[in-house]
Amino acid sequence: MAAISVHQFAPCITCHAWSPDKSMVAFCPNNNEVHIYKLFEDKWEKVHTLQKHDQIISGIDWSTRTNRIVTASQDRNSYVWNLEGSEWVPTLVILRLNRAALCVQWSPKENKFAVGSGAKTVCVCYYEQENNWWVSKLIRKRHDSSVTSVSWHPNNILLATTSTDGKCRVFSTLIKGVDSKESNGSTSSYSKFGELIIQLDLSLSWAFGVKWSPSGNTLAYVGHNSMIYFVDDVGPSPLAQNVACRDLPLRDVLFVSERMVIGVGFDCTPMVFAADDRGIWSFVRYLGEKKETSSGSKYGSQFSEAFGKFYGQSKHGMNNDSVESSKIRGGVHENCINCIMPLGECGTLIRRFSTSGLDGRVVIWDLEGQQDLLDYM
Amino acid sequence: MASTLRLYLTCIRNTLEAAMCLQNFPCQEVERHNKPEVELKTSPELLLNPVLICRNEAEKCLIETSINSLRISLKVKQADELENILTKKFLRFLSMRAEAFQVLRRKPVQGYDISFLITNYHCEEMQKHKLIDFIVQFMEDIDKEISELKMSANTRGRLVATEFLKQFI
Repeated sequence: MAAISVHQFAPCITCHAWSPDKSMVAFCPNNNEVHIYKLFEDKWEKVHTLQKHDQIISGIDWSTRTNRIVTASQDRNSYVWNLEGSEWVPTLVILRLNRAALCVQWSPKENKFAVGSGAKTVCVCYYEQENNWWVSKLIRKRHDSSVTSVSWHPNNILLATTSTDGKCRVFSTLIKGVDSKESNGSTSSYSKFGELIIQLDLSLSWAFGVKWSPSGNTLAYVGHNSMIYFVDDVGPSPLAQNVACRDLPLRDVLFVSERMVIGVGFDCTPMVFAADDRGIWSFVRYLGEKKETSSGSKYGSQFSEAFGKFYGQSKHGMNNDSVESSKIRGGVHENCINCIMPLGECGTLIRRFSTSGLDGRVVIWDLEGQQDLLDYM
Repeated sequence: MASTLRLYLTCIRNTLEAAMCLQNFPCQEVERHNKPEVELKTSPELLLNPVLICRNEAEKCLIETSINSLRISLKVKQADELENILTKKFLRFLSMRAEAFQVLRRKPVQGYDISFLITNYHCEEMQKHKLIDFIVQFMEDIDKEISELKMSANTRGRLVATEFLKQFI
């Protein structure tokens, strides 16, 4: 069994993030709050509640080195939270958005973060010392629809985005005064902020969950047509590969190593994809047991009670020849998984990761002991 | 159950299973709104191709999907005028009590008898397979219910006629 810990925190979780030492987890229980839980001797206890937003929070990211939390919400705002004493103090981010913020991520150097929005724009935010707030630069008029996911290249300059127009794009986010000249080194050719480096038009449907591999050589993202796309050599002549899944579409991916990707989504079970020696990606297997049992014809939900009120009344007996009921998806998770986060130090191999989903569970998975998968690490 | 009905329902079930991949998605056009895209149809890129499943001319099922909502519209078999009126009255009775069903739409889509609207919020609160089971069970039972109603209406009519005609004997 690859799942080493399952904890039900709330009825439904939209996103989660881990503290730098992985002892605390921050998540949004499908409302306008962020709850932070800490593990005290095998027991999770709520230590903080962050209240500032007034609509559902769509993205949380916790920076590793600077210990700051950034949240993005559908109320068009974003806050950066600093721990001062025992209190988390919010700092407003001037996003200049007029639609919901959908996703957020800290850059690797943690001096910038990117917010994808429903206004078809991406905001790249940085701190302005003199005003004590975070200001943003917008990448406008590049997306034809909402930006569903953002991901930073390890070089702190390139930013990949996916959008509901089905495209994946890579931008340069060089900001004068924030990115010093020596830091960009080889990437000095991307001189302008907001320059579109590449536009990938592989998916026929909405695209989600873009991620860079640890070295930044490979880009992976998923389409709502149950496909996962891998792009090597992002630049003037990229190499793309499509892998079709048999099951329901994925929502998010995570690079465990250069050659292994975990995909999560509507199928409720994490899927492992790996590249062979020639660099050809394929589906390996599911992680954890997959329940294949049929739900039977028991109706216990509140629905069927309402249904029974109008129909039931034991008018018709049990009919044996009814259509077989649908199978329950998933094993550890019982509803769509929409967030996957690595659990491990930056730079080292990721052996552990956590997933959260609409069933309100946070599950920690460990790849240790999965012999067939360790070959790809 | 007739084998064609089973095929029809299995087809609908499989389609629903694939179509019910919904997520929270705020409106792109109106600030701070979050509405079912399948109803508003403001952004064509957020809609998927609708699927029409027909058993015959009289019985069909239209499944329209968007990023955060799904609409299922049913046309129930109506062989004669009596069935027509029974279906209309019965489904109206249900539609008026749409709150109790949560996923039922108060008004059917034009050209159909009854419509369901499933949003991402329903998928968060309820189990997906139970939702699908509910829809399929509903379709299965609606035919039975209508033919039962028809039968009782006919029986009643016959009884009333017999009673009425007795006085002329």
